[in-house]
Amino acid sequence: MVCAMRPTHTGKAGDAMMLRVENLSVSFRTDEGMITPVEGVQFGLDAGRTLGIVGESGSGKSVSTKALMRLLPNSARLSANTRMTFVDKRGETIEIEKLRPGSRALRRLRGGEIGMIFQEPMASFSPVYTIGNQIMETIRLHRGLKGAKARELAVETLSKVGISNPSARIDQYPHELSGGMRQRCMIALALSAEPRLLIADEPTTALDVTIQAQVLDLMHDLQRELGMAMIFITHDLGVIAQIAQDVAVMYLGTIVEQGPVRDVLQTPAHPYTRDLIAAIPRLDRLEHRLHTVPGEIPSPSARPTGCSFRTRCSDAIDGLCATKTPPVTDLGGGRMVRCHRHYPERTAT
Amino acid sequence: MLRFLTERAIGMAVTLFLVSIMVFVIMELPPGDYADRYAFRKYSGTGLTITEADVAAIRAELGLDKAAILRYFDWIGGIILRGDFGQAYAFETSVNSIIGEKAWLTLGLLLVTLIITYVVSIPIGIFAAVRRGSAVDYGLTVFSYLGLALPNFLLALVLLYFANSWFGAAVGGLFSAEYADAPWSLAKFWDLVKHMWLPAFVLAWSAMAYQIQTVRATMSDEIGKLSVTAARARGVPEGRLLLKYPARLAINPIASTIGFDVNRIFSELPIVAAVLGLTELGDLLLKSFLDLDMNVAGAILLLLTVVIVVMNFLSDLLLAWLDPRIRLGG
Ligand SMILES: Nc1ncnc2c1ncn2[C@@H]1O[C@H](COP(=O)(O)OP(=O)(O)O)[C@@H](O)[C@H]1O
Ligand code: SF4
Ligand SMILES: [Mg+2]
Repeated sequence: MVCAMRPTHTGKAGDAMMLRVENLSVSFRTDEGMITPVEGVQFGLDAGRTLGIVGESGSGKSVSTKALMRLLPNSARLSANTRMTFVDKRGETIEIEKLRPGSRALRRLRGGEIGMIFQEPMASFSPVYTIGNQIMETIRLHRGLKGAKARELAVETLSKVGISNPSARIDQYPHELSGGMRQRCMIALALSAEPRLLIADEPTTALDVTIQAQVLDLMHDLQRELGMAMIFITHDLGVIAQIAQDVAVMYLGTIVEQGPVRDVLQTPAHPYTRDLIAAIPRLDRLEHRLHTVPGEIPSPSARPTGCSFRTRCSDAIDGLCATKTPPVTDLGGGRMVRCHRHYPERTAT
Repeated sequence: MLRFLTERAIGMAVTLFLVSIMVFVIMELPPGDYADRYAFRKYSGTGLTITEADVAAIRAELGLDKAAILRYFDWIGGIILRGDFGQAYAFETSVNSIIGEKAWLTLGLLLVTLIITYVVSIPIGIFAAVRRGSAVDYGLTVFSYLGLALPNFLLALVLLYFANSWFGAAVGGLFSAEYADAPWSLAKFWDLVKHMWLPAFVLAWSAMAYQIQTVRATMSDEIGKLSVTAARARGVPEGRLLLKYPARLAINPIASTIGFDVNRIFSELPIVAAVLGLTELGDLLLKSFLDLDMNVAGAILLLLTVVIVVMNFLSDLLLAWLDPRIRLGG
C-alpha cells in the first residue's frame, strides 16, 4: 500500500520536506473492541505551504492531527510502521512518533514548533484565567520572556490579530469576549510562540458566518506574512479553495484523494470528492436546503470491506469494490487517488 | 462583584432574621415559662405557698409579661448589641457563662474537621481522577463508599477502642483531667490538639468520603476538557498542567458545598460527642432540651444556624473569588 508520495508541487531543491507523515494508523481500545479510525494516512508539507484536510465529521481529521502532536489519549495506539518526521526551526529532524511522553523535545514541539487551534474557541481557554495569562504562559515556555517583556509581546500579538485595545483585553476573561474575538485570541496564543507549522482544526466552524470570513482572511494574511506552514482542517471544501494550496480528502480514516487544490476542484478524480464539490454551498442554489453527500458515513467499527466508500458510491464496480481495497494511484502532477476506477488504466504496464 | 456581594449579604441578613424568629418560636414552645419554674425552684422546700401573684411579680420583674414580639426584640437585641444570650434556668447563671468556652471549642472542632476533610479529600480525589481505572483508584473508591456506609458513631467506637489499646491513655473528651479546669496555656492547647484529632477525624469521615467522590468526578470531567488539551498543545509540562487547569477547577464544587459539609458535621456532632464523651455543644443541646432550659437551647440553636449561614456566605464568596464567571457575572 506504500506509494510514492513525493512532493505535490515543485518544492525546493534537496527535497527536505518540513513535515512527512507515512503509514499513520491510529487504533483505539474501546468497550466494543479495537477500532481503527485512521489507517495508512500519508502526506507531506513544505515550509510556508498550506495543506487543507477535508472530510465529513468522523473521517479521522482530528485524530490524525492530534497524533502529530502526540495528543491522543492513552487508549490510542499508533501502528508500528507509523513515521512522522518534522524538520524544526533549527533544521533538525524530529521523529515525532519516537518522542518520549513528557520529554523536553515533545514539549518544545508542542506549541514551539507546531501550534494548534481548535474548533471551540470558548472551550479552548480555561475560564478561570485571563486571556493574557494563557498567552503569556506560551511566551514564557517558548520565547523565554517573563514579566513585562512577555506581556508586551502578548499585547503586540493581540493587536496583530486585530484585537482593538489589546492592553485592556489582555486582562479579560474568555467569557467577557465574543466568539470571534476568542478565536482571534487563540490564534494570537498559537502565533506568539512563532511555530513553523500551525494546525487549525475547523477554526471557523463554531463561528457566525460573517465572523468566519473575517477569521479566515486573518489566518490567510498572517500565514503569508509570517511564512508559516499550515494544516487547515474543515468539512467544507469551499473554505479549502480560499485558503489552501494543497488538499487531502479524507474518508473513513484514509486519504482518498490528494493534490493541488485547483486541479482537484476542477477535475476531481474520486467519486467522494465529486460529491463534496456538489455539496459546496453556492449563491445560485442557496434557496434549496444545504446539499450534503447522500447517505451516512459508517462507523470505524463497521468499516465496509473493499473500498470503504462503496456503500455511498454511485460509481461502484460490481464484484471489485466490495472485495478489494483500492490501491493508491499516482495521477501525476502531485495528484493521487484511491479508487478502482483509476487503477487499471494508470498502472497497466 | 459589588452587586454579587450585596445580593449575598442581603440574602444572609434575611436568612439570619428568619432563623432567629424560628429559634425564638421553638424557645416559646414548651408549656409554662421561666417564671413558673423560677418560682417553683425558689420556693420549693421552703413550705411557703406560691400564689399566682408571686409568679406574676417574678414575671414582671423579668419582663416575661410583655408581648412575645417585644420579648423577641429584647432577646435578639441583647444578643446583637451586648452579645448577651440571657439567663440559663437550670444552671442559675447566664447562658454566656455556660456556653462561652464551649462555643469556641465547637467552632475550633468544626474548623479542624473541615481542614482535615479538605486536606485529605482534595489531593486524594485529584490523584484518583488522574489514575482513573487503576488499582489505586479502585481502592479509593471502595474506601469512600465504605466511608459513606459506615456510621460515624461506629467508627468512633472502633477508633476509640484502638486508640485506647494502642496509646493506652484515655482519648475521650477534649482535655485530660488535669487540664479540664486549668487556665489556658500552651500545654493546655497542646493537650486539646492531642484530643481533638480523633473526634475531628471521626466527624470528617463521611464528608471526606463524599468530597473524595466529588473531587474525583469533577477532576475526571475537567481532565477531558478541550482547554486542557489546548494547554498540553502549547507545551505546558504535565504536572503543572494538571494543577493549573483541571485541579484548579475541581475545587470549585468543594467551595460551593462548605455550608453543606458544616451542616453534615453539626448533625453528626451530638452522637459522636456522646460516644467520645465530649461535653461540648451537641451534648449540651440535648441536655438543655431535656431540662426545658430554652434560653440555653435557643442560644445553641441560634449559634449553630448562624455558623451554617455564615459558612454558606463565605462559601459563596470563596466560589466567586475562585470563578471569574461568577465574580464578573458571565
Ligand atoms: N478517544 C477516542 N476513543 C475512541 N474513538 C475515538 C476517540 N477519538 C476519536 N474517535 C473516533 O475516531 C473517529 C474519527 O474522529 P475524528 O478524528 O474526531 O473525526 P473528524 O474528522 O470529525 O475530526 C470517530 O469515529 C471517533 O468516534
Ligand atoms: S473504489 Fe469503487 S466504490 Fe470506491 S470510490 Fe472507487 S468506484 Fe467507488
Ligand atoms: Mg474533528
